Amino acid sequence: MSAAIEFTLNGRPCRADAPGHWTILDLLRDGLALLGTKDGCGEGVCGACTVLLDGEPVRACLVLAAQLAGRTLLTIEGVGADAPDPLQDAFAALGAVQCGFCTPGMILAARALLAANPAPDEHEVREALAGNLCRCTGYVKIIEAVMVTAGEIARCASPRSS
Amino acid sequence: MRLAPFELSQPETVDEVVAALAEADGDACLIAGGTALVPMLRLGLLRPGRVIALHRARDLDRLEARGAALHIGAMATLAAVHRSSVIWSGWPMLAAAAGKVATPAIRSTATIGGNLGYAEAASDLAPALLCLDAEVEVAGPAGQRRLPLSEFFTGFYETALGPGELVTAVGAPAGPPGARGGYIKFCPRSAEDKPLVGVAAMLALDGEGRCRHVRIGLGAAAPTAIRAARAEAGLGGQVLDDAAIQAAADTAAAEADPISDLMGSRDYRRAMVRVWVRRLLSSLRADPDVDRR
Repeated sequence: MSAAIEFTLNGRPCRADAPGHWTILDLLRDGLALLGTKDGCGEGVCGACTVLLDGEPVRACLVLAAQLAGRTLLTIEGVGADAPDPLQDAFAALGAVQCGFCTPGMILAARALLAANPAPDEHEVREALAGNLCRCTGYVKIIEAVMVTAGEIARCASPRSS
Repeated sequence: MRLAPFELSQPETVDEVVAALAEADGDACLIAGGTALVPMLRLGLLRPGRVIALHRARDLDRLEARGAALHIGAMATLAAVHRSSVIWSGWPMLAAAAGKVATPAIRSTATIGGNLGYAEAASDLAPALLCLDAEVEVAGPAGQRRLPLSEFFTGFYETALGPGELVTAVGAPAGPPGARGGYIKFCPRSAEDKPLVGVAAMLALDGEGRCRHVRIGLGAAAPTAIRAARAEAGLGGQVLDDAAIQAAADTAAAEADPISDLMGSRDYRRAMVRVWVRRLLSSLRADPDVDRR
Protein backbone atom coordinates (compact mmCIF):
# COMPACT_ATOMS: atom_id res chain seq x y z
CA MET A 1 0.00 0.00 0.00
CA SER A 2 1.45 3.33 -1.10
CA ALA A 3 0.89 6.73 0.45
CA ALA A 4 1.67 10.20 -0.90
CA ILE A 5 4.38 12.00 1.01
CA GLU A 6 4.83 15.76 0.70
CA PHE A 7 8.16 17.28 1.64
CA THR A 8 10.78 19.74 0.41
CA LEU A 9 13.49 18.13 -1.71
CA ASN A 10 16.57 20.17 -2.56
CA GLY A 11 14.68 23.42 -2.15
CA ARG A 12 11.60 22.46 -4.16
CA PRO A 13 8.23 21.05 -3.07
CA CYS A 14 8.02 17.32 -3.76
CA ARG A 15 5.09 14.90 -3.67
CA ALA A 16 5.95 11.24 -4.03
CA ASP A 17 4.29 7.89 -3.51
CA ALA A 18 6.09 5.30 -1.40
CA PRO A 19 5.04 1.99 0.16
CA GLY A 20 5.22 1.99 3.95
CA HIS A 21 8.28 -0.27 4.06
CA TRP A 22 10.39 2.01 1.83
CA THR A 23 13.28 3.93 3.34
CA ILE A 24 14.36 7.39 2.18
CA LEU A 25 17.07 5.62 0.18
CA ASP A 26 14.50 3.46 -1.66
CA LEU A 27 12.42 6.55 -2.46
CA LEU A 28 15.40 8.55 -3.74
CA ARG A 29 16.99 5.87 -5.88
CA ASP A 30 14.00 3.79 -7.03
CA GLY A 31 11.11 6.24 -6.77
CA LEU A 32 12.76 9.47 -7.89
CA ALA A 33 15.77 8.17 -9.89
CA LEU A 34 18.15 10.35 -7.87
CA LEU A 35 21.22 8.11 -7.87
CA GLY A 36 23.71 10.45 -6.18
CA THR A 37 22.84 9.00 -2.75
CA LYS A 38 24.73 5.71 -2.67
CA ASP A 39 23.46 2.36 -1.42
CA GLY A 40 26.33 0.84 0.58
CA CYS A 41 25.77 -1.35 3.62
CA GLY A 42 22.03 -0.84 4.27
CA GLU A 43 22.68 -0.93 8.02
CA GLY A 44 23.73 2.63 8.79
CA VAL A 45 27.38 1.73 9.17
CA CYS A 46 29.14 2.95 6.00
CA GLY A 47 27.75 6.49 5.63
CA ALA A 48 27.49 6.37 1.81
CA CYS A 49 23.77 7.26 1.96
CA THR A 50 24.16 10.26 4.31
CA VAL A 51 21.65 13.02 3.51
CA LEU A 52 20.55 16.09 5.48
CA LEU A 53 17.06 16.01 7.02
CA ASP A 54 16.09 19.45 8.35
CA GLY A 55 19.83 20.24 8.20
CA GLU A 56 20.96 17.25 10.29
CA PRO A 57 22.84 14.30 8.80
CA VAL A 58 20.86 11.05 8.73
CA ARG A 59 21.33 7.66 7.11
CA ALA A 60 18.84 7.41 4.23
CA CYS A 61 18.92 3.59 4.56
CA LEU A 62 17.65 3.71 8.18
CA VAL A 63 14.85 6.27 8.02
CA LEU A 64 11.43 5.36 6.61
CA ALA A 65 10.30 7.50 3.68
CA ALA A 66 7.07 8.21 5.61
CA GLN A 67 9.13 10.20 8.10
CA LEU A 68 9.87 12.79 5.40
CA ALA A 69 6.36 14.26 5.57
CA GLY A 70 6.50 18.02 6.07
CA ARG A 71 10.28 18.07 6.37
CA THR A 72 13.21 19.33 4.31
CA LEU A 73 15.65 16.96 2.63
CA LEU A 74 18.97 17.85 1.01
CA THR A 75 20.75 15.30 -1.17
CA ILE A 76 23.95 15.66 -3.17
CA GLU A 77 21.85 16.67 -6.20
CA GLY A 78 20.92 19.82 -4.28
CA VAL A 79 24.53 20.76 -3.49
CA GLY A 80 26.36 22.90 -6.04
CA ALA A 81 23.64 22.59 -8.68
CA ASP A 82 24.46 26.04 -10.09
CA ALA A 83 28.13 26.41 -9.16
CA PRO A 84 30.28 23.96 -7.18
CA ASP A 85 30.04 24.24 -3.42
CA PRO A 86 33.36 25.22 -1.74
CA LEU A 87 33.56 21.69 -0.32
CA GLN A 88 33.21 20.19 -3.80
CA ASP A 89 35.93 22.54 -5.12
CA ALA A 90 38.25 21.59 -2.28
CA PHE A 91 37.61 17.83 -2.70
CA ALA A 92 38.43 18.11 -6.43
CA ALA A 93 41.43 20.40 -6.04
CA LEU A 94 43.06 18.31 -3.32
CA GLY A 95 42.37 14.87 -4.81
CA ALA A 96 40.01 13.86 -2.01
CA VAL A 97 37.94 11.87 -4.54
CA GLN A 98 39.10 8.57 -5.96
CA CYS A 99 36.36 6.07 -6.86
CA GLY A 100 33.78 8.60 -5.65
CA PHE A 101 31.36 6.18 -3.98
CA CYS A 102 31.76 7.73 -0.53
CA THR A 103 31.97 11.32 -1.80
CA PRO A 104 28.28 12.36 -1.69
CA GLY A 105 27.97 11.17 1.92
CA MET A 106 31.29 12.78 2.85
CA ILE A 107 30.25 16.13 1.32
CA LEU A 108 26.91 16.13 3.14
CA ALA A 109 28.39 15.02 6.49
CA ALA A 110 31.08 17.73 6.14
CA ARG A 111 28.47 20.31 5.20
CA ALA A 112 26.47 19.52 8.36
CA LEU A 113 29.63 19.81 10.45
CA LEU A 114 30.60 23.20 8.98
CA ALA A 115 27.05 24.53 9.41
CA ALA A 116 27.13 23.65 13.11
CA ASN A 117 30.81 24.42 13.67
CA PRO A 118 32.40 26.66 10.98
CA ALA A 119 35.87 26.45 12.54
CA PRO A 120 36.44 22.81 13.53
CA ASP A 121 39.86 21.51 14.50
CA GLU A 122 41.19 18.39 12.81
CA HIS A 123 40.02 16.14 15.64
CA GLU A 124 36.46 17.48 15.29
CA VAL A 125 36.54 16.85 11.52
CA ARG A 126 37.74 13.30 12.09
CA GLU A 127 34.99 12.65 14.65
CA ALA A 128 32.28 14.15 12.41
CA LEU A 129 33.35 11.92 9.49
CA ALA A 130 34.10 8.84 11.57
CA GLY A 131 30.95 7.09 10.33
CA ASN A 132 31.69 7.71 6.65
CA LEU A 133 33.89 4.93 5.32
CA CYS A 134 36.30 5.46 2.41
CA ARG A 135 38.18 2.48 1.01
CA CYS A 136 40.40 4.47 -1.42
CA THR A 137 41.89 7.64 -0.04
CA GLY A 138 43.07 6.78 3.45
CA TYR A 139 41.11 9.86 4.60
CA VAL A 140 44.11 12.23 4.70
CA LYS A 141 43.02 14.31 1.71
CA ILE A 142 39.36 14.25 2.73
CA ILE A 143 40.21 15.69 6.15
CA GLU A 144 42.50 18.22 4.47
CA ALA A 145 39.74 19.29 2.06
CA VAL A 146 37.31 19.93 4.91
CA MET A 147 39.95 21.88 6.86
CA VAL A 148 40.80 23.97 3.77
CA THR A 149 37.11 24.72 3.21
CA ALA A 150 36.74 25.79 6.86
CA GLY A 151 39.75 28.07 6.36
CA GLU A 152 38.13 29.60 3.25
CA ILE A 153 34.92 30.24 5.17
CA ALA A 154 36.88 31.97 7.94
CA ARG A 155 38.79 34.13 5.41
CA CYS A 156 35.57 35.19 3.69
CA ALA A 157 33.83 35.96 6.98
CA SER A 158 36.58 38.03 8.62
CA PRO A 159 37.35 41.64 7.65
CA ARG A 160 40.49 42.01 5.49
CA SER A 161 43.58 43.09 7.32
CA SER A 162 46.43 44.80 5.49
CA MET B 1 18.14 -4.52 -0.73
CA ARG B 2 14.58 -3.58 0.23
CA LEU B 3 12.99 -4.39 3.55
CA ALA B 4 10.38 -7.15 3.42
CA PRO B 5 6.97 -5.48 3.06
CA PHE B 6 4.94 -4.56 6.13
CA GLU B 7 1.91 -2.39 6.86
CA LEU B 8 2.90 0.95 8.39
CA SER B 9 0.79 2.68 11.06
CA GLN B 10 1.50 6.25 12.12
CA PRO B 11 -0.66 6.91 15.21
CA GLU B 12 -0.85 10.43 16.63
CA THR B 13 -1.28 9.77 20.36
CA VAL B 14 0.12 7.29 22.88
CA ASP B 15 -3.40 5.87 23.33
CA GLU B 16 -3.56 5.17 19.60
CA VAL B 17 -0.15 3.47 19.76
CA VAL B 18 -1.35 1.22 22.59
CA ALA B 19 -4.54 0.43 20.63
CA ALA B 20 -2.54 -0.37 17.49
CA LEU B 21 -0.23 -2.68 19.46
CA ALA B 22 -3.23 -4.48 20.97
CA GLU B 23 -4.89 -4.87 17.58
CA ALA B 24 -1.72 -6.32 16.03
CA ASP B 25 -1.62 -8.92 18.82
CA GLY B 26 2.13 -9.52 18.80
CA ASP B 27 2.69 -9.19 15.05
CA ALA B 28 3.96 -5.59 15.26
CA CYS B 29 7.22 -3.77 15.92
CA LEU B 30 7.55 -0.19 17.11
CA ILE B 31 9.86 2.10 15.18
CA ALA B 32 11.28 5.20 16.86
CA GLY B 33 14.47 6.37 15.13
CA GLY B 34 14.95 3.09 13.28
CA THR B 35 18.70 2.88 13.84
CA ALA B 36 18.32 -0.46 15.62
CA LEU B 37 15.09 -1.80 14.11
CA VAL B 38 15.84 -1.24 10.41
CA PRO B 39 19.08 -3.29 10.43
CA MET B 40 17.22 -6.10 12.23
CA LEU B 41 14.45 -5.98 9.61
CA ARG B 42 17.00 -5.96 6.81
CA LEU B 43 18.81 -8.95 8.25
CA GLY B 44 15.48 -10.78 8.58
CA LEU B 45 15.86 -11.16 12.35
CA LEU B 46 12.35 -9.72 12.70
CA ARG B 47 9.51 -10.16 10.20
CA PRO B 48 6.55 -8.18 11.54
CA GLY B 49 3.32 -7.84 9.57
CA ARG B 50 2.93 -4.32 10.91
CA VAL B 51 5.33 -1.58 11.96
CA ILE B 52 3.98 1.16 14.21
CA ALA B 53 5.89 4.42 13.81
CA LEU B 54 6.06 6.73 16.81
CA HIS B 55 7.26 9.88 15.05
CA ARG B 56 3.80 11.48 14.87
CA ALA B 57 2.75 10.68 18.45
CA ARG B 58 2.41 13.99 20.30
CA ASP B 59 4.50 15.01 23.30
CA LEU B 60 6.81 12.01 23.16
CA ASP B 61 9.87 14.20 22.44
CA ARG B 62 9.33 16.63 25.32
CA LEU B 63 12.51 17.32 27.25
CA GLU B 64 12.26 19.46 30.38
CA ALA B 65 12.93 19.89 34.09
CA ARG B 66 9.86 19.06 36.17
CA GLY B 67 10.59 20.63 39.54
CA ALA B 68 14.00 19.28 40.50
CA ALA B 69 13.59 16.18 38.30
CA LEU B 70 14.38 15.58 34.65
CA HIS B 71 11.79 14.35 32.14
CA ILE B 72 12.86 13.13 28.70
CA GLY B 73 10.20 11.92 26.28
CA ALA B 74 11.06 8.59 24.67
CA MET B 75 11.32 10.14 21.18
CA ALA B 76 13.94 12.73 22.18
CA THR B 77 16.92 12.10 19.92
CA LEU B 78 20.40 11.56 21.31
CA ALA B 79 21.43 14.77 19.50
CA ALA B 80 18.70 16.64 21.40
CA VAL B 81 19.81 15.10 24.70
CA HIS B 82 23.42 16.07 23.93
CA ARG B 83 22.43 19.67 23.03
CA SER B 84 20.04 20.26 25.93
CA SER B 85 21.10 23.06 28.29
CA VAL B 86 18.66 21.64 30.88
CA ILE B 87 20.48 18.30 30.87
CA TRP B 88 23.95 19.88 30.87
CA SER B 89 22.95 22.04 33.86
CA GLY B 90 21.78 19.21 36.12
CA TRP B 91 22.75 15.87 34.60
CA PRO B 92 25.96 16.54 32.61
CA MET B 93 27.12 12.92 32.52
CA LEU B 94 23.98 12.00 30.57
CA ALA B 95 24.44 14.84 28.07
CA ALA B 96 28.07 13.80 27.62
CA ALA B 97 27.22 10.11 27.22
CA ALA B 98 24.62 10.92 24.53
CA GLY B 99 27.34 12.75 22.56
CA LYS B 100 29.54 9.66 22.66
CA VAL B 101 27.08 7.33 20.91
CA ALA B 102 28.04 6.29 17.36
CA THR B 103 28.14 9.14 14.82
CA PRO B 104 26.34 12.47 14.22
CA ALA B 105 24.09 10.83 11.60
CA ILE B 106 23.01 8.17 14.12
CA ARG B 107 22.57 10.58 17.05
CA SER B 108 20.30 12.80 14.92
CA THR B 109 17.92 9.87 14.48
CA ALA B 110 18.32 7.44 17.41
CA THR B 111 16.09 8.10 20.43
CA ILE B 112 16.53 7.64 24.17
CA GLY B 113 13.44 5.41 24.38
CA GLY B 114 14.67 3.29 21.49
CA ASN B 115 18.12 2.99 23.04
CA LEU B 116 16.67 1.64 26.29
CA GLY B 117 13.96 -0.49 24.67
CA TYR B 118 16.55 -2.18 22.46
CA ALA B 119 18.36 -3.18 25.68
CA GLU B 120 21.78 -3.40 24.09
CA ALA B 121 24.24 -4.36 26.85
CA ALA B 122 26.81 -1.98 25.32
CA SER B 123 24.46 1.03 25.51
CA ASP B 124 26.34 4.25 26.30
CA LEU B 125 23.28 5.82 27.92
CA ALA B 126 22.29 3.00 30.26
CA PRO B 127 25.34 3.13 32.61
CA ALA B 128 24.94 6.89 33.01
CA LEU B 129 21.18 6.61 33.56
CA LEU B 130 21.70 3.80 36.10
CA CYS B 131 24.03 6.10 38.07
CA LEU B 132 21.38 8.84 37.93
CA ASP B 133 18.74 6.53 39.49
CA ALA B 134 16.65 6.91 36.33
CA GLU B 135 13.12 5.58 36.01
CA VAL B 136 11.33 4.39 32.90
CA GLU B 137 7.76 5.45 32.19
CA VAL B 138 5.74 2.80 30.39
CA ALA B 139 2.28 2.86 28.77
CA GLY B 140 0.26 -0.22 27.90
CA PRO B 141 -3.13 -1.90 27.96
CA ALA B 142 -3.30 -1.59 31.78
CA GLY B 143 -2.43 2.12 31.75
CA GLN B 144 0.81 3.79 32.82
CA ARG B 145 3.48 2.60 35.21
CA ARG B 146 6.98 3.66 36.24
CA LEU B 147 9.82 1.36 37.17
CA PRO B 148 13.46 1.90 38.07
CA LEU B 149 15.82 1.44 35.14
CA SER B 150 17.70 -1.11 37.29
CA GLU B 151 14.57 -3.34 37.07
CA PHE B 152 13.91 -2.59 33.39
CA PHE B 153 16.72 -4.69 31.89
CA THR B 154 15.95 -8.34 32.52
CA GLY B 155 18.36 -10.18 30.21
CA PHE B 156 20.33 -10.17 26.96
CA TYR B 157 18.28 -7.74 24.77
CA GLU B 158 15.32 -8.35 27.10
CA THR B 159 13.29 -5.87 29.13
CA ALA B 160 10.44 -5.81 31.62
CA LEU B 161 8.08 -4.48 28.93
CA GLY B 162 4.96 -6.65 28.79
CA PRO B 163 2.88 -7.44 25.69
CA GLY B 164 1.52 -4.26 24.15
CA GLU B 165 3.66 -1.91 26.27
CA LEU B 166 6.02 0.86 25.15
CA VAL B 167 8.49 3.21 26.81
CA THR B 168 7.04 6.74 26.83
CA ALA B 169 9.64 8.64 28.88
CA VAL B 170 12.73 8.47 31.05
CA GLY B 171 12.96 10.40 34.30
CA ALA B 172 15.78 11.15 36.72
CA PRO B 173 15.82 12.90 40.10
CA ALA B 174 18.29 15.66 40.88
CA GLY B 175 21.64 14.29 42.02
CA PRO B 176 22.98 15.01 45.52
CA PRO B 177 24.59 18.43 46.08
CA GLY B 178 28.22 18.52 45.03
CA ALA B 179 27.96 15.27 43.08
CA ARG B 180 30.73 14.56 40.63
CA GLY B 181 30.32 12.12 37.79
CA GLY B 182 31.32 11.05 34.31
CA TYR B 183 31.08 8.43 31.59
CA ILE B 184 33.97 6.94 29.63
CA LYS B 185 33.92 4.29 26.93
CA PHE B 186 36.73 2.08 25.69
CA CYS B 187 36.63 1.68 21.91
CA PRO B 188 39.62 -0.36 20.76
CA ARG B 189 38.64 -0.14 17.08
CA SER B 190 37.26 3.27 16.15
CA ALA B 191 35.56 6.25 17.79
CA GLU B 192 32.06 5.55 16.47
CA ASP B 193 31.93 1.95 17.68
CA LYS B 194 29.94 0.67 20.60
CA PRO B 195 32.13 0.29 23.68
CA LEU B 196 34.07 -2.85 24.52
CA VAL B 197 33.30 -1.65 28.05
CA GLY B 198 31.67 1.58 29.19
CA VAL B 199 31.90 2.94 32.71
CA ALA B 200 29.83 5.65 34.38
CA ALA B 201 30.33 6.77 37.95
CA MET B 202 28.90 9.34 40.31
CA LEU B 203 29.75 10.21 43.89
CA ALA B 204 29.76 13.08 46.36
CA LEU B 205 32.52 13.80 48.87
CA ASP B 206 31.56 14.84 52.41
CA GLY B 207 33.42 17.42 54.53
CA GLU B 208 36.07 14.84 55.44
CA GLY B 209 36.62 13.81 51.83
CA ARG B 210 34.72 10.54 52.23
CA CYS B 211 32.64 9.10 49.39
CA ARG B 212 28.87 9.32 49.70
CA HIS B 213 26.13 8.38 47.24
CA VAL B 214 28.44 6.18 45.19
CA ARG B 215 27.09 4.91 41.86
CA ILE B 216 29.05 2.82 39.32
CA GLY B 217 27.32 1.78 36.10
CA LEU B 218 28.85 -0.68 33.63
CA GLY B 219 28.05 -1.20 29.95
CA ALA B 220 28.99 -4.35 28.00
CA ALA B 221 30.20 -5.92 31.25
CA ALA B 222 27.25 -8.32 31.60
CA PRO B 223 24.30 -9.48 29.46
CA THR B 224 22.64 -6.15 30.39
CA ALA B 225 23.95 -2.80 31.59
CA ILE B 226 24.43 -3.15 35.36
CA ARG B 227 25.28 -1.31 38.56
CA ALA B 228 28.45 -2.55 40.26
CA ALA B 229 26.65 -2.70 43.60
CA ARG B 230 29.41 -4.37 45.65
CA ALA B 231 32.03 -1.93 44.39
CA GLU B 232 29.69 0.96 45.25
CA ALA B 233 29.11 -0.38 48.78
CA GLY B 234 32.84 -0.89 49.33
CA LEU B 235 33.71 2.64 48.27
CA GLY B 236 30.99 4.29 50.39
CA GLY B 237 32.50 6.03 53.43
CA GLN B 238 36.07 5.66 52.12
CA VAL B 239 38.49 8.45 51.30
CA LEU B 240 38.99 8.45 47.50
CA ASP B 241 42.66 7.44 47.57
CA ASP B 242 44.62 5.04 45.34
CA ALA B 243 43.92 2.01 47.53
CA ALA B 244 40.15 2.67 47.66
CA ILE B 245 40.02 3.25 43.91
CA GLN B 246 41.94 0.04 43.19
CA ALA B 247 39.72 -1.95 45.55
CA ALA B 248 36.59 -0.59 43.84
CA ALA B 249 38.02 -1.45 40.41
CA ASP B 250 38.90 -4.98 41.53
CA THR B 251 35.44 -5.52 43.01
CA ALA B 252 33.69 -4.15 39.91
CA ALA B 253 35.74 -6.51 37.72
CA ALA B 254 34.83 -9.43 39.98
CA GLU B 255 31.10 -8.71 39.84
CA ALA B 256 31.09 -8.12 36.07
CA ASP B 257 29.67 -11.05 34.10
CA PRO B 258 30.71 -10.26 30.52
CA ILE B 259 29.95 -12.13 27.33
CA SER B 260 32.58 -13.08 24.75
CA ASP B 261 32.08 -11.81 21.21
CA LEU B 262 34.11 -10.66 18.21
CA MET B 263 35.13 -7.46 19.99
CA GLY B 264 36.66 -9.19 22.97
CA SER B 265 36.61 -12.22 25.20
CA ARG B 266 34.96 -12.47 28.59
CA ASP B 267 38.33 -12.37 30.35
CA TYR B 268 39.56 -9.36 28.37
CA ARG B 269 36.35 -7.44 29.07
CA ARG B 270 36.67 -8.21 32.77
CA ALA B 271 40.28 -6.98 32.76
CA MET B 272 39.20 -3.80 30.97
CA VAL B 273 36.43 -3.16 33.54
CA ARG B 274 39.18 -3.08 36.18
CA VAL B 275 41.29 -0.64 34.12
CA TRP B 276 38.51 1.76 33.12
CA VAL B 277 36.79 1.88 36.53
CA ARG B 278 40.16 2.81 38.03
CA ARG B 279 40.77 5.46 35.36
CA LEU B 280 37.34 7.04 35.72
CA LEU B 281 37.46 7.16 39.54
CA SER B 282 40.99 8.63 39.35
CA SER B 283 39.80 11.36 36.99
CA LEU B 284 36.84 12.11 39.25
CA ARG B 285 39.25 12.61 42.15
CA ALA B 286 41.25 15.14 40.11
CA ASP B 287 38.36 16.84 38.33
CA PRO B 288 34.79 16.82 39.66
CA ASP B 289 33.35 17.53 36.25
CA VAL B 290 35.23 15.38 33.77
CA ASP B 291 32.52 15.71 31.12
CA ARG B 292 32.67 19.48 30.76
CA ARG B 293 35.34 20.89 28.53
